[in-house]
Amino acid sequence: MAAGTGHSPVLSLQGMHKRYGGVHALRSADLTISAPGVVHILLGENGSGKSTLLGILSGQTRPDQGTMTLGGREVRFSSPVDALAQGIAMVSQETAVAPELSVAENVLLGRGLVRRRLGLSWGRTERRARAVLDRLELDCDPRARVAELRPDQRQMVEIARALSSEARILILDEPTSSLTDDEVEALFRVVRQLKREGVAVIFVSHRLPEVFAIGDEVTVLRDGATVAAGPIDGFDEGLLVEAMVGADSAYGREAAPRSPARHDGTALTVRGMRVAGAVRDVDLEVGRGEIVGVSGLVGAGRSEMLEAIFGARPIVAGTLTVGGESFRPSSPRHSIERGLGFLPPDRKGQGLVLGLSVQTNLTMVQTIGRSRAAIPRPEAEWRRVAGICERMQLRMASPRLPVGSLSGGNQQKIALAKWLLRDPGLLLLDEPTRGVDVAAKAEIHAHLKAIAAGGVGMLVSSSENEELIELCDRILVMSRGRIVASLSQDEATEAKLVSSAGGHV
Amino acid sequence: MNIDATLPGRAWRATANFRPILILVVAMFVFFTITQGAFATNQNLKNMLADSAILWVIAMGMTFVLLSGGFDLSVGATAALVGIFMVKVLALGIPGGVVLALMVLFGALVGALLNGIPIGRLNLSVFVVTLASMIALTGLVELWSGSESYYVTAPIAAMIGVDNVLGLPVPIWIMAAVFVAALYVQRFTFFGRDVYAIGGSPVAARLAGIRVPRTLMIVYGLMGACAALAGAIAVGRVGAATPTVDSTIALQAIAAVLLGGTALTGGSGGVGGTAVGVLFIAILQNGLSLAGVSSDWQNVVTGVILLLAVLSDRFNFSDLLRRSAEDEGEAGAGGPPAVAAEGQPRLNA
Repeated sequence: MAAGTGHSPVLSLQGMHKRYGGVHALRSADLTISAPGVVHILLGENGSGKSTLLGILSGQTRPDQGTMTLGGREVRFSSPVDALAQGIAMVSQETAVAPELSVAENVLLGRGLVRRRLGLSWGRTERRARAVLDRLELDCDPRARVAELRPDQRQMVEIARALSSEARILILDEPTSSLTDDEVEALFRVVRQLKREGVAVIFVSHRLPEVFAIGDEVTVLRDGATVAAGPIDGFDEGLLVEAMVGADSAYGREAAPRSPARHDGTALTVRGMRVAGAVRDVDLEVGRGEIVGVSGLVGAGRSEMLEAIFGARPIVAGTLTVGGESFRPSSPRHSIERGLGFLPPDRKGQGLVLGLSVQTNLTMVQTIGRSRAAIPRPEAEWRRVAGICERMQLRMASPRLPVGSLSGGNQQKIALAKWLLRDPGLLLLDEPTRGVDVAAKAEIHAHLKAIAAGGVGMLVSSSENEELIELCDRILVMSRGRIVASLSQDEATEAKLVSSAGGHV
Repeated sequence: MNIDATLPGRAWRATANFRPILILVVAMFVFFTITQGAFATNQNLKNMLADSAILWVIAMGMTFVLLSGGFDLSVGATAALVGIFMVKVLALGIPGGVVLALMVLFGALVGALLNGIPIGRLNLSVFVVTLASMIALTGLVELWSGSESYYVTAPIAAMIGVDNVLGLPVPIWIMAAVFVAALYVQRFTFFGRDVYAIGGSPVAARLAGIRVPRTLMIVYGLMGACAALAGAIAVGRVGAATPTVDSTIALQAIAAVLLGGTALTGGSGGVGGTAVGVLFIAILQNGLSLAGVSSDWQNVVTGVILLLAVLSDRFNFSDLLRRSAEDEGEAGAGGPPAVAAEGQPRLNA
């Protein structure tokens, strides 16, 4: 560790508050980095306020209350450029590289490209980039196009880019989520090198083994507040998980156990499924009337698995059956004809056509398989639409309104309801309640349970473990493309799901 | 009686997307009728409409292309190529009616194969694909015609271009037929809905099981068929097939479609608006010509109005108009609102 600078901490945030409308994203969050060259771990479940806190640190978000000091001096950032000028750089989850430009250009983009009287001096730009890459001990040609690099190398380019501005504090937001073990090790080498140079690193990760491997100090957020902080030596995995999910976390236990209205037969079986770059060796079964959850971190392959089963993404290997008969996914259309339904995670871009009416959206899937020259019969459609609107308790003035004019909860119900018009045998649901309010969420859960009770099998992926525990008969945990655990409703707790997803069962 | 339940009432509501331009067209018509004695004469109006038939037919096809989220720059070249095709096929002694059918088929194939497949199946950029087709087809026109014009004396040409049926020139009848067919496809077929869905969100359409590549192939095929029909009308009106490609006709058609309230981003609009858009261009050009204003000024005015039309959409001008119109309708009738009035369920919580 580099020499400390007296008593004032490198960075200190005290009493951060931030509200978005009615949502308290942060209430009294603190974070203190004690010395230069420290790796500070930031932990918290989805919705705990991590992103908001990082936004404040990197100058993207302004807090409603709270003070921030840098080396003992109070600061206030007006923009990310301002934060950068004061020495805080952030590498976000989505690596924002310009893929068609060279490594050197990406590293120095926006600040370090060397100008001469006319245009740019490429020779000096490359030498300057080379210097930053050397500092990170990165073996990578500054002239190479970023598009040709591996994901971990791209991430390094982003880190190099953040460091090219002489940052003293570097924020890494889930840097390992898309990296392999070897690549994680390479990243850690770079982080250790930065430590030696006295750069403080704020490291966000869900993977507890990594946290202990690289971290010096830790801050845990829950529901917008700091619930634990201190040197990492004072914690073990159990304590961290408990801090993240709360000691009183008995979600799911309180929920009335679903009367397992068992139906005979399976809705779906998957054996040895592989999807390029995302899913490996997946075996699973969904019974008729059963709700099976899929838990896991972002990038664990949950979405890719659902897309592949629905035929929206090619399957490299594996055998599937649907309703007991062999099934080879080839296209969404084919899957729909075999009785599958898919609720994609992004209803605005994937689940609905916002500009079209509620009625058209609802009947879109229902007509698949009929001649496209055929004439819709409005009266018959109206009856079906009216029936489904009543069943789903959809609130709107008229089904002729564009879907985009409705609330998020109603939109999501429509995205779900359109599949019911086809009497599906299996529903694949990816983040079924993302971005809807609490009341709509409860309603959607009730609908899903009722639909399952009618004999429909469901595979539900969600990044909210609480939701899975509430909803599912059984929960599978995915990590790096594999299913690593399977928990019954009785066994599943948030703590178990979190530690399984992080690679420790 | 609820005004919205009557046919005119429903037609008026259907104009919501292009109401400002509709009002402008009516105003221009009145203005030129008053100021230009030669404008509202039987003969002038017939000529004006017949002259706009080429743009009309192309714009109808272009409407579906824009609704699907694309556009087609190659239609002028397709029309010219089909003209040469007509000469060559007529030379084989094939009867006129068959030749016309073959032309439309040929145009449809050109559109579906050259534009539909690369855009729909290979996911290539609309701009690049249709630009490439335009350039290549323009070259083919020159090669195939030997850079010569051909007089077409076969009766089919005169029949399409200049003959009258029941007192109206045939091009006007073709316009009516194409419009009715287009409106039917747009409103009353699953294919029409698919086009809107694809333009609105290609990903959502695919995940809903719509065959996006096939649908786009048909859209560009229909565009090619429309271009072929326009090519036939062009030969008929001039009495000759020429190797000159009107490279601006595609852009004029896109302008007419946009004037008519169809979104360049796809998924919203329709052929009703396109009809008004073409009429706007036709009346403006005809009226200003009668007033002795040069065609350069006609272009300046068309460009400015196009910009204003799109701007008015941005500021939801038409939305405001529509809302006030609906308020009046409901207040005046005192009956239940539109949806319930049509005997269809009105869904409330």
